[in-house]
Amino acid sequence: MIGYYLRLALRSFRRAPGLTALMVSAIAIGIAACIVTLTVYHGMANNPIWWKNGELYAVTVNPSTPNRTREAGLPAYGPGQLAYDDATYLFGSSIPKRKALLTFLFGSISGAPDQTRPLPTMTRATTAGFFRMFAVPFRYGGPWSKAADRGPEPVMVLSGRENHKLFGGADSVGRTLLWSGHRFRVVGVLAPWHPLPRFYDLSAGNGGAFARPAGAFIPFQWGPVLGDWPAGDLSCDTHGSSTTPTTYQELLGSSCTWIGLWVELPTPAAQRHFLAFMQAYAANQRAAGRFQAVNTHLWTVSQWLTLHHVVSHRSGLLVNLAFALLAVCLINTLGILLAKFLRGAPVAGVRRALGASRRQIFAQHLVEAGAVSLAGAVLGLALSAAGLAGVRLMYRGSSAAYGKFAHFDAIGLAWAVALAFVSTIVAGLYPAWRIGRRAPATYLKSQ
Amino acid sequence: MALTSHPLLSALRRNPTGAVLIALQIGITLAILVNAAAIVTRAIQKMSRPSGVDTRDTFVMTMVGLSKNFNVYSTSSADLAYLRHLPGVAAASIVFGTPLTDNGSDTSVGRSPGSRGPTVTSALLPVDQQGLRTLDVALIAGRNFRGSEIRVPSAAHPDPRIGEVIVTQALAHALFAHQSALGQTIYVGSHTPSTIIGITRNFMGPQLGQHAYDTVLAPEIVTQYDMYDLLVRTRPGQRAAVFRAAKRHIGTADPNAVIGQAVTFAHAKRLLYSGLRDLAIFLSFLTLVMLALCCLGIFGLGTFNVATRTRQIGIRRALGARRRDIVALFLAENALVVAIGAIFGCLLALAIGQWLTDHDGVARLDPWYLLVGVAILALTSQLAAWQPARRAARIPPSVATRTI
Repeated sequence: MIGYYLRLALRSFRRAPGLTALMVSAIAIGIAACIVTLTVYHGMANNPIWWKNGELYAVTVNPSTPNRTREAGLPAYGPGQLAYDDATYLFGSSIPKRKALLTFLFGSISGAPDQTRPLPTMTRATTAGFFRMFAVPFRYGGPWSKAADRGPEPVMVLSGRENHKLFGGADSVGRTLLWSGHRFRVVGVLAPWHPLPRFYDLSAGNGGAFARPAGAFIPFQWGPVLGDWPAGDLSCDTHGSSTTPTTYQELLGSSCTWIGLWVELPTPAAQRHFLAFMQAYAANQRAAGRFQAVNTHLWTVSQWLTLHHVVSHRSGLLVNLAFALLAVCLINTLGILLAKFLRGAPVAGVRRALGASRRQIFAQHLVEAGAVSLAGAVLGLALSAAGLAGVRLMYRGSSAAYGKFAHFDAIGLAWAVALAFVSTIVAGLYPAWRIGRRAPATYLKSQ
Repeated sequence: MALTSHPLLSALRRNPTGAVLIALQIGITLAILVNAAAIVTRAIQKMSRPSGVDTRDTFVMTMVGLSKNFNVYSTSSADLAYLRHLPGVAAASIVFGTPLTDNGSDTSVGRSPGSRGPTVTSALLPVDQQGLRTLDVALIAGRNFRGSEIRVPSAAHPDPRIGEVIVTQALAHALFAHQSALGQTIYVGSHTPSTIIGITRNFMGPQLGQHAYDTVLAPEIVTQYDMYDLLVRTRPGQRAAVFRAAKRHIGTADPNAVIGQAVTFAHAKRLLYSGLRDLAIFLSFLTLVMLALCCLGIFGLGTFNVATRTRQIGIRRALGARRRDIVALFLAENALVVAIGAIFGCLLALAIGQWLTDHDGVARLDPWYLLVGVAILALTSQLAAWQPARRAARIPPSVATRTI
């Protein structure tokens, strides 16, 4: 029966090829607009470590009163990073299962065989917990030990990319390199790892949510030991009146924020415990006169992404716009199908008179509407592929987020199928129902 | 034939769903068109703010020290000596921070010490006496820094005092409104007073957002962070060549330093507005597609309906209606539908505008946009309906009534 209905539909398309082309391309354009914007949006809204969402927490401590915080142009929870004293004290807690301090140092790596010029490298100064906590994959070797954090021992983990530049991709574990003139031993090399967004460091001053992870990793304490200034986001306006530190010792004692702190708290009890610990610390600091307020928070990864507006309002706006466009396209198609079906009513009347049931007339017209939607969806997929390629081309070589996510994925395909189905229902159901309901006599009369 | 309301409404009454669908399409398209136009216009306004600096011929190189043997003062002096002798260089200076980007320091500036009294968050751009000349920013009052005023504090001799400062016109206005700011005392990020010795034209400093034009220039070579920025302005058209030569020479001149980053102002400006520009492009594109589809829909349905109503038109013509009466009837029908759609669209546009104001902090929708939007949509939809109407008018009464 379906085959027969399809033949009838094809005949109907041939009678009005212009209108059919208009309907198919309208649906295709609507679906393509939705898929392109949704694909980019989903990439941005991605939580790369969703399976640990209830366990990983970013720590914020705001020492200022709400008024001062507002004046400094900061959100209510205060700065996204911590001052040295606060970060190291909270890091000392034994409550979290794992924990990590994060900052950036700028170094140059030399000493690899065949290397002619030093390799300038953004270096992540962090602690041993970083790698296991964020599920960082290793190609060779592994993370350094907790003891290496305390030393600190001269150990280094290289990213796959930097290992390729320095050693041609060979296993470099055990090799010694010079990092800004100091000898470090390579203990691990990462497998390709580029979480998007870079959830553990969203600070704009560190390159933002879509920057590449660092090229090398060394223990956090090397910064203080070498007196090496942080190369990333360093913000000193938490107290308004504080002056910018001029020596490294002043920086360590200052309220300037430049260190990220993440903790892994697998159980609700551990979360409550750690939160109480933080509040007690802040209350102590307020009593001592260092803080003006007790305002400490733990944020899950998804909360952290939301707070930093990783999903820009702009991309949300474009998704809404794409759906409005699809709506216009569907209304368009609905109107054309309705007019077409009603014009073909006399034919339907003859078929009714010859014994076709209402349901069969309805099914026949729904098949025609479905065929239009299906053709629209197929063309829409092709258009989306072209659109995504266009977006990639537009952002080739740029660090903007749009280009990174403009790849066809299973989600895009699923959306296309779902939207084609919705299109059939929205645009086809009503006209098919209208035509199926007509009494045949009215149309036979004037024949 | 007088065009009474009867024939106009009867066709619509016979197929109200079709008319409602077109009105709905027109309404949604109008609402989106109006809001998109408002957003795109504001984006263009923001992008066309003057940068105040020479974006064609200026670039910045950030130099980073790699070891304890690195000395900002001696290395940067050597770099400047090299650059100033390079043919094609108009001016070169050592600064700390990159205008038109977020790479720089900001500080609170007030008329009273500490946090007493209101403060303004402003960019702080340390420069030497060549800074203004290199930025190509003119003074509108006062004087430039003298060579003797440039301080070179170091870790061994810290000197947080800033004696003299130059401020932008925007910052002077923010601090002193309509009084003269020249010679006044302000407090820059600390309790020690500074005197304003000069006021410059507005330019975008190393701090973006609302206060892009608020900048304090301080006479200082910053040495304690083991990094500095070389600001270079070339003679017109020489930038590419100078940029290449400088990168080659300076990148290898001192083994203890590397170029951390090198950007031209043109690139920085492109980067600065890239998000806004993309939004404007995507919004315009999607909106135009929507408008085109809406008109194609009206055209397609109109053509189709003419074919359906051949007989009705034929009877009208036989009864004495002229061709232009038929065209007028079709256009009037379309106008009625458009009017209903426009009313719905205006309400929807205001609702969307309100939502955008609440959620995105977008300024309230200007009613002018509604007016222009309705005019554009009415015009394009009448154009789309015109061709089918003309075709309807061309139907000879004899053909149309043959089958009766």
